[in-house]
Parts: sequence; C-alpha cells; structure tokens
Amino acid sequence: MTPGALVRIASRIRELATQRAYGPFLATRYLLTRPINLLGMLGVTLSVWALVVVVSLFSGVIVVIEEHVHAASADVSIGSLPAGTSWSKLHDAIADDPNVRGQAPRLVHFGMLNRPGVRPPPPILPGRGALHGGDQPFLFVLGVEPAAEANVTGFADWLRDPAIPADLRVADPDDPLRTIDSTATVLVGFERMKRDGLKRGDEVVLTSGRVYQAADGNKTLEQIPMTMRVAGAYKSMHGGFDGNNVFVDRATLNRALFADDPDTIQEVAVRLRDDAKLWETADRLQRTVARITDRGDGRAYGSVQTWRQKNATFLASIEHQRALLKIVLIVIMVVAAFLMLATLSMMVTEKTSDIGILTAMGGTPIGVMQIFLSCGLVITGLGIVTGIGTGCLTAVHLEEVRQFVLWTTGVDLFPLDVYNLDRVPSSIDPWWLLQVAGMALGTGFLVSALPAFRAARHDPLVSLRSS
Amino acid sequence: MTAPVLAARGITKTYRLGRQDIPVLRGVDLDVGEGEMVALLGASGAGKSTLLHVLGLLDPPTAGDVLFDGRPVHGLPIAERAQLRHAHTGFVFQFYHLIPELTALQNVMLAGMMTTSWLSWWKDRRAAKARAIAMLEHVGLADRMRHRPAELSGGERQRVAIARALLVGPKVILADEPTGNLDSKTAASVIELMFSLQAERRIAFLLVTHDESLASRCHRVVRMRDGVVVHG
Ligand SMILES: Nc1ncnc2c1ncn2[C@@H]1O[C@H](COP(=O)(O)OP(=O)(O)OP(=O)(O)O)[C@@H](O)[C@H]1O
Ligand SMILES: [Mg+2]
Repeated sequence: MTPGALVRIASRIRELATQRAYGPFLATRYLLTRPINLLGMLGVTLSVWALVVVVSLFSGVIVVIEEHVHAASADVSIGSLPAGTSWSKLHDAIADDPNVRGQAPRLVHFGMLNRPGVRPPPPILPGRGALHGGDQPFLFVLGVEPAAEANVTGFADWLRDPAIPADLRVADPDDPLRTIDSTATVLVGFERMKRDGLKRGDEVVLTSGRVYQAADGNKTLEQIPMTMRVAGAYKSMHGGFDGNNVFVDRATLNRALFADDPDTIQEVAVRLRDDAKLWETADRLQRTVARITDRGDGRAYGSVQTWRQKNATFLASIEHQRALLKIVLIVIMVVAAFLMLATLSMMVTEKTSDIGILTAMGGTPIGVMQIFLSCGLVITGLGIVTGIGTGCLTAVHLEEVRQFVLWTTGVDLFPLDVYNLDRVPSSIDPWWLLQVAGMALGTGFLVSALPAFRAARHDPLVSLRSS
Repeated sequence: MTAPVLAARGITKTYRLGRQDIPVLRGVDLDVGEGEMVALLGASGAGKSTLLHVLGLLDPPTAGDVLFDGRPVHGLPIAERAQLRHAHTGFVFQFYHLIPELTALQNVMLAGMMTTSWLSWWKDRRAAKARAIAMLEHVGLADRMRHRPAELSGGERQRVAIARALLVGPKVILADEPTGNLDSKTAASVIELMFSLQAERRIAFLLVTHDESLASRCHRVVRMRDGVVVHG
C-alpha cells in the first residue's frame, strides 16, 4: 500500500468521524417518518433477544449439569494403579498433600444385574442415555467402603434423598451395605430400580467377569456370578451416573474378583479442600502417585484425573450442543438482516429524489452515504439495546415466564424434574452479550452499507432533471 | 473592475449516448457581475439547464473553465467543490426540490448543515435556527414555518426554496425556470421577491426563463441556441 493510499484512507475515516450535520439530521427525519423501519429494528431485537435468552438458559443448564456431574464424581480420581500397590503407603502419601480433605479406596469393575427368572425389560427410548443412563444392561460395579465414600462425594446424602420411597430406601443409611440374611448387598440407582421393578431385599445376580490366562497362553473370560440382595436405592443429582453404577462392599467384591490378593486397590477417590486449585493439585498428586508406584522398570503407573477430565466427553457434548444452538439462532439474525436490507433499500429508492438538491446545496457522495448508513446503524443500535435489555430481563425471570406459560396454556416449557431443579436455570455471560452485540452491529453495518453505497453512486443530475 | 462573480470560458459539454456524441454546449462564454441580474433565454433543448449545472459545479464540462471570482474551479478536489457549491452559489429549481419529510423551517435550516460538522452545528443550533426563521420571515412565510411542503402552495414552496438558497449568503443564485410551474400572479410575486433581494443584498442572479417580459426587466439578456450564446 502506498503512503498516498494510506493518507486517502485516513482522510476518509476522518470524514466519516466528523460527519456533516445533515447526515444525522436527515437520518432521524427519514426514520421517524417511516414506521416500516421498526420492522427491521424488531427483527434485530428479536434475534438478539433469542440469542441472549436461549444461550443464557442453555448456559444455566450447563452450569447445573456440571454441578451435578461434579457432585456425582470425586474431585480427583486416581486410577490405573498397578497390581500390588500398597494401599497404606499410597493413602499416607496422598493424605500428606495440603489440599486433600478426604480419600476413599475403590474397586472398579464391570457387570450385569438381573433378577433370577425375570427377563430384563427392553431398553427405554434411545437418546436419554447420556443424561439419565440405565438404558443398557451394562454396569460399572464400584466396590466401596461406605464410611470412606461419604468423605469424598455426597454418597451419604444420596441414600437419604426424599424422592426415594420407603420400600426402596436402605434400611440403615449409616451402614448401607450391611448383609441381608447373610447375603452381600448391592446399592442400585433409583431410576434403574424403579424401571426394573426392584425392591429392597430382592435377590439379584450380579454377573461380573475376569480374563483368565491359561498355561498355553490362551485367554478366556471367566464368568463370576454373585448372588446378592438389593440394599436399596441411591440418588445422586446426575442421572447418567445413577443409571450406570452400582455399589457393593469392597471386601465382598475383592473376594469374588481377586481372591489371591485381599487388599487390591484400583482407584482412589479424592476430595479437595480448595476446588479452585483443582489442576495444580492434580499435577502434584500425579507426581506423588508416580513416586509411590514406581517399580524401577521405567514405566509410569497410576493416572490422576480431575472430575472434568473423567467426564470430558459428556461435558464436551453439551458444550457442543450449545455451539450448535448458537449457529441455529444466528439464522434468525440473517433473516433480520434481510428484513433490514429490504426496508433500507426501499427507503433509498424512495429518497434518491433528494440526492440532487442535497448535492446542489454542497453535499458529497460520502455525505449522502452517511445519511443512509446512519439510518441502518440507528436501527441496528436500537435493536441491539432493546434486544439485550429484554433478553437479560427474560433470562433473569425465566422461572416466572415458565410458570406464566404453564398457568395460561398448561404447557410446561422446561420440566424441572428432568434436571432435579427447583427453578429454570440461566447464566448471563457478559462476553456472550458483547459477541451478540458485535455480530448484530457487523451485520447491520453490512446491510446498511449496500443501499448506502447505491445512494452514494446515484447521479444527482438524474434527480434534478426529473420533476 | 473586480472579476465577475461567475464566468464561463469556452464551455463545451458533450454527452455520450452509446456510440453517439451529443454536443449540448459548444463553447459558451458568459460573465455574471456582482449583483447583476442576467436572464438566460432559449428554446427548449438549447442547453440552458445543462449550462446552469456546469456553472453550479454539478456537472463537469467536457472542455473550458468555470471561474468563481476569477478563479478556475472545476479542477478542484471534490470536497472543495462541494464547499464552493455551498458557499458561493444557491440553486432554485422549477420543481422546488424541497424535502417532503421536513417542515419549511427544517428545509431552510438544512442548507446550513451541509458543510459544518454535527458537533459545531449543535453548538450553534439556536443561532442557526434564528437565521432560518429570519430568512423565512423575509420571504413572507412567517406563518408557514411548521408546514410540510405538501401543505404549501406552489408559490409558497418556491419562496421556501429561495429562502433556502439564500441562507448561507451566496454571491450568485442560479435559478432554472423558477416560475415555470406557477400561475402568472404567483409568478409575479416570486419575481418581485427576487428583484427586491437582488436590490437589497446585491446578490447576482442567473435566471433561466421563457418569459420575455420578465427577461426585459433584467440588467442583461443572454440568448442561447443549439449550445452557443447568440446574443450577449
Ligand atoms: N444525460 C444526458 N444524456 C444525453 N443527453 C442529454 C443529457 N442531459 C441533457 N441532454 C440533452 O441536452 C440537451 C439540452 O438539455 P437542457 O436540459 O440543458 O435543455 P434546456 O435548454 O434546459 O431545455 P428546457 O427549456 O426544455 O428545460 C437536450 O437535447 C437533452 O436531450
Ligand atoms: Mg431546462
């Protein structure tokens, strides 16, 4: 770019900034005498409103889901522990970390749950699995110590959830996995229990398995059926967790799976004191675990995962849904843009007759362009302001809106029990508001620039010669 | 003697229609002195309007020069030409060309907004409004300020247009058949107004007309035929 071109561009910008008085004056008069332009403004308002409200609602849902997912997971899980890891040594090393509040040892295995003589029901509607789980027979079997477990998650509260009816509730929440009639017991998610028609004390078979390597090197899967009784239901806030996990006593599971090693640990669930230091604590624990499990063979054992990493796929999937939602909503803005383009083009066509006299009085093509550009920007600006204003207002009062719609039409726009909530969540992100405003402004500028440019190129003599 | 406020030197103007060249002005020389009232007569199609547009810097000449106070102006940059159009010349047209959305007062005020930035105009807005009101009173429209053009008669509209042309105090007014659309009585009063303005303010007029009796009242009559001045 030559210096001359830069100077020209700079003077153009200065000319735009020091707009001649007739630009804003005529723009206001033109707009005030043409109520049709309200249509363009309403279009912008509507699209901005929708982008603010829907995304705030969805962000609110994400916050809630994250809370629920977090509540169902330990802050940090330490897994992939090698066989023969000494629990007491590991426990002490972890307990030394300043940010660790509690820890619980776990066995994590897989299995299938069925009642003898009862066929499992068909899977429920597909698609609810991600959020609610339980639509496949496959389960994670967690071998836990209830007292320790209560220190790392809301486990103790999950057993006392008021939604669980008496006949599904554990007999003694302080010792939930107590044997019934000398039979080991299993804790099942509330929704799964309801769906499978299970009651406390029912006899079930928990089938697990283990890969067994024969002397000739061939591997076979050895079935391990465990006859158990249902201890009762638990209910965390995260349905996806409840549907896919059952709890059994760690010692019982240890005997069934690893009879030769009575003190096996597969995972340590850790609760932190300060959640804000999640990542640095995880890093520190990773080093601690590597040190404890080091066998001098040059391989690293033990992997530390934060609750976010452990649920990364699920959390990313709802994040992804929000992104898709934004794209869909931006389509409304495109429609609004076309509406504005149409009304502004109409106005320019109508007002070309004024361009002649404006030029004769000392107007310039750039000045003429500024008139119509100002019109478009005023429409866009007002649309953005009202859109963001009403959008934030709606987002804050979503629960009232839901109740009003429920009351007038009987339609529940947002069934709260799906998410275990008592009011519609919403979370307004100022950065998103800024993005929406910027997007709308950019679009508004673009669709005003086109007709404004046409006006600037209009030959003033054509208007002057015509009557 | 001072230089003429407005002068044409060998102006030619040729329009191109497809491959055809249409010569409209073929070498026009013309002087308009300070405060002089010049009538421009000629048959339809002679090129009178075209000449006015060239003189008013709305249309560039194909060849020749336009001089404001003896200074050639057509080669100037676009912003300077706009400024000169604004300050040096005023236009009055047969069809008024008022802006229909604006009241009479706003139409006149608009003329003062053409070259000042909105900020400095806003600072000076009271004085600007007072000037516009005074101008409308001067042309006899004290009680028509808040009327839109659609609510005014033809004569009143032309008075608004004249007030608008006068607002910034130009040295010359280019009037293209200002009474062409008015009945004779209204036309006469508009003409009287222009003569009184000329006498009071020493504004020069270049007046395109088909009316011989009106022309005979002017200081000088210029006749055009086929793009040339035949009688100066
Ligand atoms: N843009 C143009 N392209 C081609 N020819 C044009 C253009 N503008 C004007 N003309 C021609 O120039 C000639 C002079 O036109 P002009 O309007 O100056 O005449 P006039 O003397 O004002 O006539 P009238 O008294 O009818 O207003 C006409 O023949 C017209 O057809
Ligand atoms: Mg003409």
